[in-house]
Amino acid sequence: MSELLAKKDILRLVEQWLAAGRRVAGPRCVNANAQHRQTDLINYAWLTKADELKLDGFIRPTNSIKDFVFPRHEKLYGYQFKGKQIELVPAELPTAEQIVIGARPCDAAALAILDAVFNWDFKDEFYNRRRELTTVVTVACAKYDDFCFCTSVGDGPCDPRGSDVLLIPMDGDRYEVRCLTEKGKKLLAGATATSSETAKEPEGPPVRFDLDAVGKFLAGGYEQPDWPDLARRCLGCGACAYTCPTCHCFDIVDEGSASGGVRVRNWDACQFTMFTAHASGHNPRGDQAQRQRQRIHHKFQIYPEKFGQLLCTGCGNCSRNCPVEMGVLPVLKTIAAKT
Amino acid sequence: MLDELRQTCRRLLQDGAVQAVIGYGRASPDDPVVPIFVTKPEEVDRLVWDDHCFANLTKYLSRKEVLSLGKLAICVKGCDERALLVLEKESQIDRSQITVIGLACDGVGQPRLPKCESCDVHTPRRADVAIGKATAPDDAAAGKRYAELEEFLKKTPEQRMAYWKAELARCIKCYACRQVCPMCYCRQCIVDKNRPVSISTSATLKGNFAWHINRAFHLAGRCVGCDECTRACPAGIDLRLLNLSMAKAAEDGFGYRPGMDPNAEPIIGAYSQQDHEEFIR
Repeated sequence: MSELLAKKDILRLVEQWLAAGRRVAGPRCVNANAQHRQTDLINYAWLTKADELKLDGFIRPTNSIKDFVFPRHEKLYGYQFKGKQIELVPAELPTAEQIVIGARPCDAAALAILDAVFNWDFKDEFYNRRRELTTVVTVACAKYDDFCFCTSVGDGPCDPRGSDVLLIPMDGDRYEVRCLTEKGKKLLAGATATSSETAKEPEGPPVRFDLDAVGKFLAGGYEQPDWPDLARRCLGCGACAYTCPTCHCFDIVDEGSASGGVRVRNWDACQFTMFTAHASGHNPRGDQAQRQRQRIHHKFQIYPEKFGQLLCTGCGNCSRNCPVEMGVLPVLKTIAAKT
Repeated sequence: MLDELRQTCRRLLQDGAVQAVIGYGRASPDDPVVPIFVTKPEEVDRLVWDDHCFANLTKYLSRKEVLSLGKLAICVKGCDERALLVLEKESQIDRSQITVIGLACDGVGQPRLPKCESCDVHTPRRADVAIGKATAPDDAAAGKRYAELEEFLKKTPEQRMAYWKAELARCIKCYACRQVCPMCYCRQCIVDKNRPVSISTSATLKGNFAWHINRAFHLAGRCVGCDECTRACPAGIDLRLLNLSMAKAAEDGFGYRPGMDPNAEPIIGAYSQQDHEEFIR
């Protein structure tokens, strides 16, 4: 037995949520220059009406759902100079519930991974508050492209991690509904129809490299001679990190004037020269090979050692959005082939 | 044409004229075309040339990870070659130390990129080795150069502001636009200056306007219109429109197109008593 929902009923639900004033985000076309990108640009973004929502017909959005729990810019607190005193003004924590519908499993799984780092030595109240307020409705992937590699990193098109509801596509524009958490059950209570039909779980992309071989290469130490060649075409931008569902580095900066200002945290990325630049002028990761090595080691060795999970869900966004089609996959394919 | 390219590169590497060729290649037939660096004569068969060779490889001439390979040969399309001339004029490269392989190009992308539709530099003009012959006419398209900009300028200022607000709201400040740009070779970009901060690093509407307006100003009279920033942008922002606006100002006001005429001095770096000054009010 299973629970089913037709696509039109999902859209009707979205319409009801929006009418009730709830904040709903999902994949929608935000494209402005199709010719240049030679495709529609689909991002996870706030919906204003249900028919903006795209549940199928594309591989995955260009951004990731981390935007809704770890925004690119967040005010931590304000400060005001009062004579010789400094007055701190706490930032208001978010209070509005939000629904992310049409998430991909590789995005949702990233939330389960991020929970570990945002609750390790310090419990990040901004992240945790947003996470509590968010209900994630995931759609299993019926399609994949050459950049997808979830199955190579132990993930897959039906991975339940991080999702409150998992929708698995069936024929006739219907979905099998699996409510995985209390939040998910509450969201869809009474909306589904019980059926004897079940969906066939999609298999996802073929395994593209041997993860154990990657592990062996990385365990071989930092000074592998291959890194300059592996990294040479990297141009050092942050397109990979900023569209990655799991990358979570940030920079804390003050923005203010003589009378006061705000302390904010903004996304930061390990491929930037400035990321590790010291005030002295020394930079411990002075060239791109060292910075690429860091990115791969962090995702496939350091994070797993510390938290028992890879810092990668195989979404492929890093390569898809790279100006020179680099990202994680070509590097891992090359190093796996070496060992 | 591809054989000719490979033979040329093989010869350059065999003779020791260069230690590396910056070109285009694929890891396997189904893979995307990416920049590659060929250092051995027996590897020249990795080189490809087709209408998916998007990247402007001249960016790599300011990357130390590439300069460290030794003496270089570089593959350029006509549009990319303009960047070489600007880099030379701005004393960033020693042209005599670089072997330039000019690839005749009928345009890239399916459909063709907007820059290709008004291209008047299909055949590189100052290459050391010229490969192929472009079939497309060279000058017929020139009149359409600013067509998109002219169309955009028909909107009211309010409509244009609304457009840019919606576009720039998507900017995540990944700086892909800067990192792919051959003209962005500053050792420290103005947005990275933090003592004091000149431009907000926040990816807010205000911070994004500050970044993109500064970027456009710094490229005025220098941008060669390769459109790599627009291609690279993961937020799909049409930076080409801003670049066209700067290019048109340089051409209308000073009769100058960056990277076109080796005898013309860069407008930012040269002073002429004939320069227009009516814009100073």
